[in-house]
Formats: sequence, structure tokens, C-alpha cells
Amino acid sequence: MTDGISWNDLLDLVTRLDANEFESVSLVFGGISVRMSRNAPLAETTGAAPVAAPAARPVSTPAPSPDPPGQLPTESPAPAPGGETITSPMIGVFYRRPSPGAPAFVEPGQSVTADTTIGIIEIMKLMNPIQAGVSGVISEFAVTDGEAVEYGQTLAFLAGESS
Amino acid sequence: MTDSPDPAPIILIANRGEIAMRIIAAVRRIGGVPVLAASAADAESPAARAADRVIVIGAAPAGQSYLKPEYVAQAAVQAGAVAVHPGYGFLSEQPRLAELLEEENIAFVGPRIETLRAVGDKGSARRVAIEADVPVAAGADIEDPNDSDAIVEMGRSIGYPLLIKAVHGGGGRGIRLVSSDEELSTLVPQAAAEAEAAFGNGALYLERFYPAARHVEVQVFGDGLGGVQIFGDRDCSVQRRHQKLIEECPAPGLSETRREALHDASRSLVRALRYRGAGTVEFLVDKESDDIVFLEVNARIQVEHCVTEEAFGVDLVAAQLRLALGRDPELPDVPPVPPAAVIELRLNAEDPDADFRPNAGTVTEVVWPRGPGVRIDTQIERGYVFPPFYDSLMAKVILRAHDRDAAVSAARSAVSVIRVHGIQTTLPMHAFVLSHPDFIRGEVSTSWFTQAWAGRKDEQ
Repeated sequence: MTDGISWNDLLDLVTRLDANEFESVSLVFGGISVRMSRNAPLAETTGAAPVAAPAARPVSTPAPSPDPPGQLPTESPAPAPGGETITSPMIGVFYRRPSPGAPAFVEPGQSVTADTTIGIIEIMKLMNPIQAGVSGVISEFAVTDGEAVEYGQTLAFLAGESS
Repeated sequence: MTDSPDPAPIILIANRGEIAMRIIAAVRRIGGVPVLAASAADAESPAARAADRVIVIGAAPAGQSYLKPEYVAQAAVQAGAVAVHPGYGFLSEQPRLAELLEEENIAFVGPRIETLRAVGDKGSARRVAIEADVPVAAGADIEDPNDSDAIVEMGRSIGYPLLIKAVHGGGGRGIRLVSSDEELSTLVPQAAAEAEAAFGNGALYLERFYPAARHVEVQVFGDGLGGVQIFGDRDCSVQRRHQKLIEECPAPGLSETRREALHDASRSLVRALRYRGAGTVEFLVDKESDDIVFLEVNARIQVEHCVTEEAFGVDLVAAQLRLALGRDPELPDVPPVPPAAVIELRLNAEDPDADFRPNAGTVTEVVWPRGPGVRIDTQIERGYVFPPFYDSLMAKVILRAHDRDAAVSAARSAVSVIRVHGIQTTLPMHAFVLSHPDFIRGEVSTSWFTQAWAGRKDEQ
């Protein structure tokens, strides 16, 4: 087992904390420090929003499987300061194009609004369009075209356009 | 027989809590690779740590994760699983999951899709039972809800009190108790209108009501071809609002004739269904007459399967997995009565002094009993955050002894040792039942607990 943490670990943490009555939380584990607050703007440093940690999920071991496990890329770049992420609303296979060979829905550098379609998630042959859910400029995709993803996994990073 | 590891089969577990832990253990026992499909709330649960891999299928609420057949099937594909074990509850008896898996050539660890359909609603389950010569409660279908003369005649021939049941109802809904001609003829048209509104179908039938009956069920295991093995019976009469609290194996005080009738009826029903894998046939056993009547078939592994496993020394979950993989389930033939008596206590995260209100939070301390014949099936440990999203089962405490008196005594002793801090549990309720002379004597009816518990409060 690694002692790194992943986006899913953070989501789980948020779920747990949200069920309790903490106003703000600061945690350090596995070399990662996380600060969260219900409402107060966090004064410290960069990466105020929950940060996607560049690490493998601790619960995963490489199982012999035809598809790569839905792991976060170990080299995933940290989002720009203040940048948001787009996460997967469901398990499935993520596609960036409406059909093979067609142009991608959006490319890094393009700006999106909450209802811009950024990709498709296929789940048991059913195609689900995925909207950005936030507005901003896509800085980078966190998963490749055709990659298996899990619920809560980061699909794309937005450049921090704090305006 | 050996469980050859070539190649190790990947099994997806589509459940959570104690049963996920139980299935993971069985997957390891047969040499498989356990992969857990978890909600975001369970992504770091003890079961998640016990599995080789976790796939997060959806958000914490079950309706957005554990209850989505498409998500579970997708997870099975992504895991490269050869079989999916659905546990109990959630999708365990949903034909839709089995269908999706069939399309992907992945085995569903459970009965065939036709079986799930055949026993899935009251009306068809009752028809299947009648065809297989399984005794059902005296009853009759209502042809016309407004023909009160015909209805009263039917009611008198069944005898009062009786139940009006909606053919398409379920989970205790659409049932009314009536005790006279007048009540019957007034309530039938109302019940028909309600059933039409609630279930989209107003069909009703009348059924004899047994006010003093025990809940006794028979554990079966079918080979899917008509072959069947019987693994004794369980008594699950200690209930509150149709929720089982304590189960035991064997059912105490059954005459040889009655036990044989229950086992024979179950065998005949399972043969008729060509049932595949583990299942349970539930009956009411009347205390005031010799009647036994069929209730339903549970087409899954049940919460209380452990008492049977301990009493006979078998592993039913491993057998389910082996059968699903096309192997010999490796189950012995056993006598109708096991060589031991076993009692299971369901420890729930509920406050018995506050009308069994569920509660959630962090478990700050846990102490379990140890010793011969003690088995604890649980997902909780110190520091575990019991989530508010799912059912309240925290642990099953299972005690085996050479006879029932010794098992009851072992259970009482276990209760005095158990400590769970941080969350209110039903432990005080178990202490009460295990010391009650009616329970110690055995053979209480399904309505016993509610009255006895209310009586306890009056005495205080």
C-alpha cells in the first residue's frame, strides 16, 4: 500500500466532514496537507481549494484487468492557483470526441461555461454527455480519451481565472 | 477438490458493510481476487481495505451508487470480473443487473433471471408454490371488488380474521387485517382503489391470518438443474416491524413431522424452479393449529445465513461462488437437524430506548467476546465512522453451542462482554430478550417481541 492520497480520498474526507459540524479543517497526512473551510476564505498560500494529490490511490493494487484501473495519473499537474476541477459524475469510459476521428468537444485553452459539453461517459453502451458544471478555461485534461474513470475522478483542470 | 488458481478469477462485490467483508473472505477462500464496487462514502471502509481493488461507482446515497444496475455492471467490466456477488438487499434480486451481466458474459452469483422474476412478486410466487404442492394460506382471488355478496361468502369460507392483500404489493404495503363481514365488504373496494393507485393494478386476494405464528425458514442450495440440498431450518420469530432481530438454527421445538413437511415443501418448490445457488423458503408455522403456510422465496444469501453455516460447518458464500464459476460447490449432504445449536444477534445502530431510532457517528471503542463457538461478522472497528446513508446493521454476533440452552447462555454472556462506544446500539434489547423466560423456553411468535418490549417499559 502506498501512503499517498487521491482525489477519491479527498472526496470521501469531504463527505465525512460535511456530515459533522466542523467549520474548518486542517489535516496533514502522507506528506500532503489539506485545508478546508465551509465559508471562510482560506488565507494561506496557494491551492486553497481541495488539491488533487498526485499519487496513486492507496486502495488500488494493479489487478490483472483488460482495462487500466481508473487511477489518477501519477504525474498529474497541479491545477493553477485558485483553479477548479471537473470531476466525473459517474463510473464509465470517458471520451473527448462525439465519435472516433471527430474533433474533440473542447481543447485545452478553450473557455467553457457550466453547460458546455466537455465529453461523453459511456456506461453499459449508454452515452452520457458530461457538462463542465463550472465556467473557466480548460487548462488540461486529467484523463486520456477512452480511459476508464470512476465517480469523483478528476477529468479536467481549469485555469484559475479569479475574476 | 481444489480451488485451482489458474487464473485467479476476479470477483466484483457489489455491496457494503459486513456482507462485503464476508464475501471478500469467501473470494479469498476459493482463490479469487476480490474487487469492491463502493460508493464514495465507502471508498475507505474496512471492506475497501480488505479488497484488492476498489472501484468507486457513485455518490454516497444508495440511489446514486449501490442501486444502479448499470454502474455495477460497468464496474464489473472495468474490473475484468468473471462474476458479481450482489450480497443481500440492493440489487441482489433485481433481474436488471443479472440481464446486464449476461450481455457481458459475466456470471451473476444468484439464481437464474427467470427465477428472480417467478418469485419476485407475491402473486406469481404463490402460484409457483401452489403448483409445487407447497401449502399456502387458505385464500381466494377477488374477481369483482364491488360484488359484496360474493366477497362475504369467500371471507366466511376462509374464516376471520383474514388479510386483504394486493397481488402486486410488497414490503408489507397493501395489506389490511379484517375481522368481520361488514369490515370486509367496506374495505375491499377501498383497498382495490388504493392498490390501483399505488401499484398500478387493483388485483386483490384474501388470505387467512395467523395471529400466533412463528417465522421458520428453510435454507436450500440448488444446482440449477433441479437438484437440491437442504441445510436445515432457522427460526426468525423475534421481530420488530417485520425486521428480524435474533435468528437461530435449528428452529426449536419442531416435531419431526412438521420439520419434514417444511423441508419436503421447500425441496419440491426448489426442484420446480430448478433453483440455482443459495436461497431461503420462508414459512409461517402456526402455534394454534398444525398449519404451515408458505410466505415467500428469498432468492439470495440472507443476513442470517451464518447460523446455518456454523450449525453445519459449511461455507455457503464460497459454495455460491464456486457454483457461479462452474465448479463443484463442495457442499456435503447433511442431516435435517444439525449437531449444534446456533444463535445470531443482530447488533444495530439504533437506540432501543428511543423507539429504535437509527444513529450514526464515530465508533470510539469496540470490544467483542472471544472463545469457543464465537463468530463476529462486522465492518466496524475503533475509529469507524458509521455513515448515515445505509441500513443500521453494525454486527452479527453468532454463538454456537452443543444445545439451545447452552447457546442462549453463551449469547447472554457475549452480550455482557460486548462494548461499542460512540453510537447507541441495540445491545440492551438483546440483554432483555436473552433473559426473558419466554425466549429461554423458545417457540415465541412473531408478535411476541413488540408486546414483551412494551411490557418492559410499563414495568419501569
